[in-house]
Amino acid sequence: MRDIFFDLSVRSVRLNFLRSLLASIGIVIGVVAISSMGMLGTNMQLIVKDQLTTGINTIVITPDVVRAEPGSSASSNSGITESQLTDIRDAAGVNEVIPIDRSSTQFSIGSSNGRGSIYGLDPEDIKNIMNVSEGSPPRGESDVVVGATIADRFGLKIGTRIKIGEPNISATRPVVRVAGILTATGMSSGNGINSDNAIIVSDTWYSNQFGGENVYDQVNVNLRDVSRLSEVEDAIDKKVNRNKEVVRISDSSSRITSVSSTLSSLTTFILAIGSISLLVAATSIFNVMMMSVSERVQEIGILLSIGTEKGEIRRMFLYEAFILGIIGAVIGGIMSIIIGYSVVSAMIGNTSYFFLPESIVYIPGGMLIGMIVCIVSGLYPAWRASNMDPIEALRNE
Amino acid sequence: MDAIPLIRLTDVSKVYPLESGDFTALNHISLDIHEGEFVALMGPSGSGKSTMMNQLGILDVPTTGKVYVAGKNIASMTNLERTHMRRDVIGYVFQKFYLIPLLSAYENVEYPLILKYKKRDTTGRAAAVLKSVGFDDEMSAHRPNQLSGGQQQRVAIARALVNDPKILLCDEPTGNLDRKTGFQIMDILVGLHKEGKTVILVTHDPKIAEYSHRTIQLEDGRVVES
Repeated sequence: MRDIFFDLSVRSVRLNFLRSLLASIGIVIGVVAISSMGMLGTNMQLIVKDQLTTGINTIVITPDVVRAEPGSSASSNSGITESQLTDIRDAAGVNEVIPIDRSSTQFSIGSSNGRGSIYGLDPEDIKNIMNVSEGSPPRGESDVVVGATIADRFGLKIGTRIKIGEPNISATRPVVRVAGILTATGMSSGNGINSDNAIIVSDTWYSNQFGGENVYDQVNVNLRDVSRLSEVEDAIDKKVNRNKEVVRISDSSSRITSVSSTLSSLTTFILAIGSISLLVAATSIFNVMMMSVSERVQEIGILLSIGTEKGEIRRMFLYEAFILGIIGAVIGGIMSIIIGYSVVSAMIGNTSYFFLPESIVYIPGGMLIGMIVCIVSGLYPAWRASNMDPIEALRNE
Repeated sequence: MDAIPLIRLTDVSKVYPLESGDFTALNHISLDIHEGEFVALMGPSGSGKSTMMNQLGILDVPTTGKVYVAGKNIASMTNLERTHMRRDVIGYVFQKFYLIPLLSAYENVEYPLILKYKKRDTTGRAAAVLKSVGFDDEMSAHRPNQLSGGQQQRVAIARALVNDPKILLCDEPTGNLDRKTGFQIMDILVGLHKEGKTVILVTHDPKIAEYSHRTIQLEDGRVVES
């Protein structure tokens, strides 16, 4: 059964089509603003979170240099020893343990000099944990892989030779050959290896040149299951730091939490900006509804005098607000998909998260909020219409 | 017999407070109208005719005194009860027709049925009543602004009749019509009276008042002749 009050509302909207459409455009803009902004923020969050979590499965263990005992000779040996490494391996269980040597060095390529980090890793580990974008992992003893930034700055190619060490020392410097160039990791690498500005050599080559055999500057533990992060950390801590604090154990989960919370407050902020447009929309709906009421005073008087209940009059005007809301929300919803997609692709450049539930939910969400705003804006006009005095209203020309 | 009249006014006054002092529109009026009467309410403008209409039509309550319609005291009813009385007991015919502009002729007649039964009319009553007032069937899909004055008043009478009210309250029903159409409308009202409706007619046209069986003359808020 069609409700006659709904019919009346539809006809009233149709009678004042342009006015109603203009009012709905406010809602359209509001819905689009809320949806697009929300989706933009969420997509940003999802992408950053995903990039960050690629490194979160790594526990980074470094020697606790701060706690080196004063007066003792411990400082000369401020690394992770082979026996500590064994302890770590025991505690880490099935998880992969990667000992890393690290220092900073000068180097020369042709006539230009530079400075960067140098890492020594087992060639197998290099193959496993590094992403080589060009060339291959080191095969020979003096093969190295270099970070993207270094490669870019010095124009390194596969086969380029690099002299390691200070250039003003007269002694001949060791020469390595670039076998591969790594993918840029940016700040997001959570494994404690900032490979962008580094030369990565094999562990044997490293200890031949820099010494420190059986002592490591850093040990990474790659977890198979991220959810067991703190469990494994506790196990290592108990085993290695049983007498005193000799190693520091860290991971990047806290960094993810802080970045996520920053991004989520950013999303809230842009959503708040989007909401302002809905406030404007609410005003225009309110205005149109008040116009509709004041134009139809005599009609309301007729309806009331021949026995229409107040509630029915209210319903009629709320339907009208609802219709305006539906029109606005539907158009807004469709436009949100288009505009939201464009905004996300233009500002983030990655739309692979766009259709995920967390992101797409902003469209029905925005539509719903738009409709609610419409109906709330119609409440007062509807109340006013229903409370008119029929005699006064009839007299109105 | 017929101890309780359909409409009874006992010592009814209506006073409008104005800045220049209170204005008494109705001044201690007592009056009975029995079922089946055809009453004309006459008087010059400002005599209180409209105020009287509002009282009889349950659109307003008196300042003092009591108005009984169909045995019920209007002042002691809730707003909703008065609304339902207007819907079920009284049929209104106005000088300016007051059809609902957004509804077709047929829908205007169907509307009080929907108010009462909360659903669309499937009994054919709306169409039958329209026909009984001589309204051309083909025109029933037209909106009021597409109809002549006489046609609109026929629709208005059909609307007033559709819920089978006891009382037909007509406020200058011929005031916006030419003489010939006016008499046609009066013929319809006479016919309805014969069928048993109580007709109350407000007019200042003595020719129209002649159709009634009783004339109530108002002057300065008082009944001067009944």
